[in-house]
Amino acid sequence: MSMFDYDARPVTPLPVLVGTTASRGAYAIRDFLSRNGYPFEWVDASQPEAVRAVLGVAEVEPSALPLCILPDGSRLASATVEQVAAGLGMIAAPSRSEYDLAIVGAGPAGLGAAVNAASEGLRTVVVEAVAPGGQAGTTSMIENLLGFPNGISGSELATRAVVQARRFGAELLLARPLVGVSADGPGYVAGLSDGTLVRGRAVLFASGVEWRRLDVPGIDNLLGAGVYYGAGPSEALACTGSQVVVVGGGNSAGQAVVRFSRYAQQVTLLVRGRDLGASMSQYLIDQLSGIPNVEVRVRTQVVGLEADDRLRTVIVRSGDSTEPARLPADALFICIGGTPRTDGAAGIALAANTAGYLLTGRDGAREPGSNWPLPREPLPLETNRPGVFAAGDVRCGSVKRCSAAIGEGSMAVALIHRRLAEVGGD
Amino acid sequence: MSLEFAELASDEQIAAAAAALEYNGIRSLLAATGADARRLVGSLLTGGAEVYNNTSQTLQAIGVADDIERSGRYQPLRLRLYRMDREMQRREMRSLAASPDYVVGSVHALTEGGSLLIASASGSQLGPLVSGAGHVILVIGAQKIVPDVAAGMRRIYEYCYPLEDARAQGAYGVPSGVNNILIINKVLAPDRVTAIIVKERLGF
Repeated sequence: MSMFDYDARPVTPLPVLVGTTASRGAYAIRDFLSRNGYPFEWVDASQPEAVRAVLGVAEVEPSALPLCILPDGSRLASATVEQVAAGLGMIAAPSRSEYDLAIVGAGPAGLGAAVNAASEGLRTVVVEAVAPGGQAGTTSMIENLLGFPNGISGSELATRAVVQARRFGAELLLARPLVGVSADGPGYVAGLSDGTLVRGRAVLFASGVEWRRLDVPGIDNLLGAGVYYGAGPSEALACTGSQVVVVGGGNSAGQAVVRFSRYAQQVTLLVRGRDLGASMSQYLIDQLSGIPNVEVRVRTQVVGLEADDRLRTVIVRSGDSTEPARLPADALFICIGGTPRTDGAAGIALAANTAGYLLTGRDGAREPGSNWPLPREPLPLETNRPGVFAAGDVRCGSVKRCSAAIGEGSMAVALIHRRLAEVGGD
Repeated sequence: MSLEFAELASDEQIAAAAAALEYNGIRSLLAATGADARRLVGSLLTGGAEVYNNTSQTLQAIGVADDIERSGRYQPLRLRLYRMDREMQRREMRSLAASPDYVVGSVHALTEGGSLLIASASGSQLGPLVSGAGHVILVIGAQKIVPDVAAGMRRIYEYCYPLEDARAQGAYGVPSGVNNILIINKVLAPDRVTAIIVKERLGF
């Protein structure tokens, strides 16, 4: 047995991803693998010796990048997330023709519901577009979750929740977004991007939110090349010694700053509002104030970016100043607000507020055109479609906190039992 | 390097060591080949359990490392630890690595009197072996059987260390070291530790 065992490196081959740091496609795969907790090796294609070590030649044809070498030695040229996911065996088919509950989204609300539903005997499936954990899964350390006095990282919380849900028999279908839902008798059929159909007697939307896009000229061309939406956990190590800018005033932005401050030379947090108190937990505000390489700039917005093959400078305007300032930046992480993820719900016309958040309970039934069909009122967390529920950040009026989302997911299961009893078979 | 420690033990020595292990509270199983040992390990591990496979040429040679890290039957802790953020998740890493449901590894020497000797540069693997892990499974090539603890110590310093140092230099670019030595003479918890003696030369 080895005497040298302190890096915990897997002893079997890892997938190797070869690409450039300015590649959007390579970032998408890094982000996907990182968020799914799948260890991999990253090789920068601009480093000839590193490339030679894995491929035997010093250069790779640019059109073949990103190139993924799977653990069995096979290679995927111009690799996509979908190809890598399939190559690593991450794509599973549903084992049943019908489930009692189909949950859309594997964030805290979805996983909270999955654990409770499966533990109570409901045949449960969770469909997830990217990776378990949702936005919370990219959080470096959640310190206000009950029962974790020293905090727990978002990725570890997601890992444990997935293990727990699976132990009770819940299935998780990963790496395929929901593309549509349609009525199917008293239940529903959910269609996934690869054509997989999932039947559920009840559906829970726990699909969360995605980051709001920053409206700055040229930003889309820099995605993955220095500009990232979310906390970008795959990029933390790459930020060693660099200048990092984070945009946002919520807990996700604050936690991203804490993480990057451990690696970066300087982290600047840009906040549009007058102070952080309105949107960030006090414990995070206190932490930020004690980190020497963190600067918080309030009343500040990004107005421009400068780049060559990747981001170099963030141009900001602060307060009442008319003169923009230039911040040297190797990476910009955007953690602002959120847009509810309800794309797949269009087919069943769920009632939503003007921002797109799903209405539940009496609010949904009262909405003009909601067409609530039953003599009873909708249950709390039930949308305007009987048997379709919503929980967590995607729901109008939800509290945007991890513990609240877990609670809503758990609460939804109790209500779903009532719905299933109504249609028989529960 | 003393090649006496590369010689397979005789059937009589193997039987003596196996009986002594049992006497010392360590369940002992015999395997004719590495493939048999691999099947035995699979039969001892519980599906879905958190399993930590120690860095081990033996486990790699017989396919057990693949079974743990790649089969999907278990929660392989090495993979989980490797992807953790060393700055933000050090505490989680420490507690995960310290208390797996199962640790699977090998030893550097097994005495005919039923003592197990394990050396470590970092010491990280010793705590779970002694008490942190719920269960311990050790796969031991029969060339590791020595007459007594003194011979076992010689095996570590004169035979294992040079080979391990070369491996560490190649794999990590740093030297190894006999910085910690664990000697297990007796195990009190019934069925916690299982030793599988393989009648083949495995690892070093």
